[in-house]
Amino acid sequence: MNLSRENNPLDDPRRLRAALRDVRDEDLIVMVQQGQKRAFDEIVHRYKGRLFSFIMRMVKEPSLAEELTQETLIRVYVHADKYREIARFSTWVFTIATNLVRNKMRQRSRRPHTISLNTAPDDDEVPVDPADLRADTSERVQREELGRLIAEATEKIPERYRIPFLLREVEQLSYEEIQQVTGLKLGTVRSRINRARTRFRLLIKPMLKNESLLAELEEIEARAAAEDGVPSADD
Amino acid sequence: MHCTRARDYLSRDLDGMLPPDATVGLREHVDACLDCQTFRQDLVLGRRLLAATEPKLPDNFDWKLQLRLNQALQQRAGETAYPWYEEPHVRRGNWLPAFGAATSLGLAAVLAFAVFLGPRERLPLVTDGAPALSSPSIAAVPASPVTVVDAGTLDERPADAAANLAGRSDRRPLFGAPQGGGLYGGGVARGLSVGTDGGASRVFDRGWSGDRFEDARTIRQLRAYNAQLQQTLHRQQLELQRLKAQLDTIGAGGLDTGATR
Repeated sequence: MNLSRENNPLDDPRRLRAALRDVRDEDLIVMVQQGQKRAFDEIVHRYKGRLFSFIMRMVKEPSLAEELTQETLIRVYVHADKYREIARFSTWVFTIATNLVRNKMRQRSRRPHTISLNTAPDDDEVPVDPADLRADTSERVQREELGRLIAEATEKIPERYRIPFLLREVEQLSYEEIQQVTGLKLGTVRSRINRARTRFRLLIKPMLKNESLLAELEEIEARAAAEDGVPSADD
Repeated sequence: MHCTRARDYLSRDLDGMLPPDATVGLREHVDACLDCQTFRQDLVLGRRLLAATEPKLPDNFDWKLQLRLNQALQQRAGETAYPWYEEPHVRRGNWLPAFGAATSLGLAAVLAFAVFLGPRERLPLVTDGAPALSSPSIAAVPASPVTVVDAGTLDERPADAAANLAGRSDRRPLFGAPQGGGLYGGGVARGLSVGTDGGASRVFDRGWSGDRFEDARTIRQLRAYNAQLQQTLHRQQLELQRLKAQLDTIGAGGLDTGATR
């Protein structure tokens, strides 16, 4: 790498990573374009969780979501020279991810449709029943169960509403960025997000009335806040 | 403000996208509307639920990514450094089906040419003085059969046939085949007639694309007919000898039968 060979003060990986922590995404990708591979590590560190979360909520299969997340990051690296700062870097990354997800979902829809005998009948308006959630109070199972219920509710939102909804709610992209990612008009983005929110609310309504569930939600949020406050071991 | 519009505004307000002039009206409505207050709380709770249930990455994600990235880079580097490396495989893969298709098409074209467009005229089986039917015994048959002899003593049919073969027939079809039809019926093989047509050779007028057994059968029939004619000729010669002997007996002069020719 260029930096380490030229007796750069940032040749220590730890110091380099600490230095890169405050660099903007757009500057990081420029560094990648210039051949500084450590900058790509920082990009991966910043985006892998967000990408996986978005893709996982779209495709629902963990292995497929992992594969598509990796594919997105690989494309970011391989085609880094094609990025121009006419849009935010996050917009570019999520455009790649959205296109990959759409292609995959299109391929899926062309396959012969199979129906699992173990799943409940697919009905958009059937609310998620959180009754089983109270049975096991262990932290991991509690989180997994809640995640499963939310994933099922999310999956029932039509794809054309789900993409802008997740980009806004989970990834917190602005309306303009979502417009760039999806290619939709701004008014369409706004109305689709609104419709998705209304549908999502209907789907999770039973959960919202469940006092114990809300208490568990607060516990999870408190734990997450505590984890964010503790510096990670590799820093 | 109606609740429908208020909820649309609430969604935009949650994202900080509501214009300032609409904010005042929205607040007034929400303060007075219990349903819209619940709606706003639900939107916030939904967002919190989504954030709290964020899927966790697998533990080995980083090294799997590194592995795939290395593979992608190696593949890309290979394509760049050795552009000719993969080409032969690609070409071979494309060449074989193309060659197979071209060969099949060529064979199909040859077959089609043979069946439908091939030569319809073959080597003549019967011509003027054709070897198959021009044996000395047939050639010895007089142009005019024995008219002086009692007709009842001779078989007319072989004589007629011999006359036909000698060229005096008017394109009469052989073996009772209908005029213009021939042994092979219609279609590709159009007919068979034997004889001469104004000195020109008469040939089998049919396609050569099959029915070879028909040729063999015809040859067998002609040979049998030839044998029959020879037997008839032999009987006529014997009859001539008998008549000559009778003439000698009664002291009459000899009769020029042409047998010595």
